[in-house]
Amino acid sequence: MTATFVRSFPPRSGERLYAPEPATIVRTKQLTELERLFEIKFADGRDLGHQPGQFVQVSVFGYGEAPISVSSSPAKRGSFELCVRNMGGLTAALHRLDEGDRVGIRGPFGNGFPMSCMRKMDCLMIAGGIGMAPLRSVINTVLADRNAYGRLIVLYGSKTPKEILFRDEIETWTGGKKNEILLTVDNAAPGWDGNVGVVTTLFPKIKVNPKAVAAALVGPPVMYRFVLAELNALRVPDNQIFLSLERRMKCGMGKCGHCQIDNRCVCIDGPVFTAEESKHLHESL
Amino acid sequence: MTSKAVLDAANLSGWLSTLQATAPLMAPVKRGRVSFAFSWIEDPADVRLDYVRTVLPPKQALLPSRENLLTVTRSPLEATPQIADKPFILFGVHPCDLTAINQLDWAMGKRNNVEDPFYVARRRAATIVALDCMPDKYCFCASVGSCATRDGADLFLTPIAAGYLAEALTDKGAALLAKAKSRAPKPEELTEAEGFAQKKVRRTTLRLDEEVANLPKLFEQRHDSEVWEKTALRCYSCGTCTNVCPTCFCFDVREIADLTLDAASRWRQYDSCQFLEFAVVAGGHNFRRERTDRVRHRWFRKFVYLNQEHGQAFCVGCGRCSQQCTAGISLVDVANSVIAEAKERVA
Repeated sequence: MTATFVRSFPPRSGERLYAPEPATIVRTKQLTELERLFEIKFADGRDLGHQPGQFVQVSVFGYGEAPISVSSSPAKRGSFELCVRNMGGLTAALHRLDEGDRVGIRGPFGNGFPMSCMRKMDCLMIAGGIGMAPLRSVINTVLADRNAYGRLIVLYGSKTPKEILFRDEIETWTGGKKNEILLTVDNAAPGWDGNVGVVTTLFPKIKVNPKAVAAALVGPPVMYRFVLAELNALRVPDNQIFLSLERRMKCGMGKCGHCQIDNRCVCIDGPVFTAEESKHLHESL
Repeated sequence: MTSKAVLDAANLSGWLSTLQATAPLMAPVKRGRVSFAFSWIEDPADVRLDYVRTVLPPKQALLPSRENLLTVTRSPLEATPQIADKPFILFGVHPCDLTAINQLDWAMGKRNNVEDPFYVARRRAATIVALDCMPDKYCFCASVGSCATRDGADLFLTPIAAGYLAEALTDKGAALLAKAKSRAPKPEELTEAEGFAQKKVRRTTLRLDEEVANLPKLFEQRHDSEVWEKTALRCYSCGTCTNVCPTCFCFDVREIADLTLDAASRWRQYDSCQFLEFAVVAGGHNFRRERTDRVRHRWFRKFVYLNQEHGQAFCVGCGRCSQQCTAGISLVDVANSVIAEAKERVA
């Protein structure tokens, strides 16, 4: 299987390349203490036109821009969702905004997950922490066209039970024999009777056919090395493993230099790379 | 099209005055005791064409150290691009810096299929008058293929005894030359100008010890060389090297609100991959926390990554970073150490 990424963009030019387009926050939902979901709509109701795994640059007046991955599936029409952790600065200002307030949007940017390569395959989704935000877009894309894909296996690690994102929604994913959703937390709390330990402790609980599986990973930098070791042990080929790598994307157009990993711009060539590609990049993991 | 004419030295200042009346003129001037700087000219008598290198490269005319990209209003939320497309003349650009401008034309104009509108507008508005020069001990243009560049210039000046041999390379250049009091060159003056170029190559003694095309392979072999760590031990991460570099184009974008909070402006300014915060993401993880990694990144970006992508080193041998490095680090010495190591291992 060769990953076919969207990597040849149509030429982009024009005076407004750096100018965000106004959009309205139509709904917000506090997901955890730090994370909040924003549903955002353009004035003309057009779709964002994104691929799962792509990101947008969100502008908040007076603060500038921050790259945020899109959390909704392209199957959701007319608006899109961003799951934002309050990290101070721009994201804190964004958290202070409410329904009806306006933000600016540029994008979508980056390549996204190669959904066409995942069709007919068993989809093994591995998320750590806020990595669930972009992975939810992939998962909902699979669920929206369920018969086009094989099994759906989700391994999701959080620090504590109260930090689990989209908890209500995750329960709806478990329906159907083809879906296996496994959660774990680093630190248990009263009422938690699930797995305790980092996300790799879930691997003994699953069985995969390495030839038929496509794995997608999104999580904190430390997670990748350990999860890749597990996937290698399962003999999943490196070109069937897709990693979303976080960097500090500023311009989104391969100019500003901030998101570079060796010779690749994450905003153009990424954020999704195969494990095969990542192996040849010194700075990737 | 090429038309050649001689500008006698006595007619230069009259020509500069005429040019300055037609469009804003940026040219080298003396700054302080020994330094030169590209500056917007008010008095044409200030223009100095006898400089070796300016502290900052002429890149600033096309990619200013700080520029306003957008003005933003809060209510309604709207962003308006601030495109600068007023014609201007960039005068006295040496071939190395001209090469750098050609590379920026690609980096900001074509690379990744995205045309940066601010850079492209300024570049289209520019008329460039290039000027040939003699090297000093920091120059190594001959070994990175930038000492005889003419592409990108509208008019090219070569110093000769009588003044300058001027060659118009474009219609814009011919129009500038038409405003000068010039005369047809004598045959010996054409020979003199050719001799200048040859003398320049002979005098450029500082060199990289390997062809630019072979550097990606050699550097990759020495990715984990101790040279990077040793260089990092001397480096202060001050960012001088990237600030004075004619080909560096990394930038940061920031928004600054007016005191009224009704409007804001979005600025971009030079950033440096040598700064500790350059690759920090939200939450504080730093993907290039070690100074060794940042130092290596600079040399790799110049001689490996962009070299592979564009087929040219992103270093034009101007010597600025070596001359101005706070710690006295020589870009050429570091590169040659790495080259020597790689060759030693093969031998």
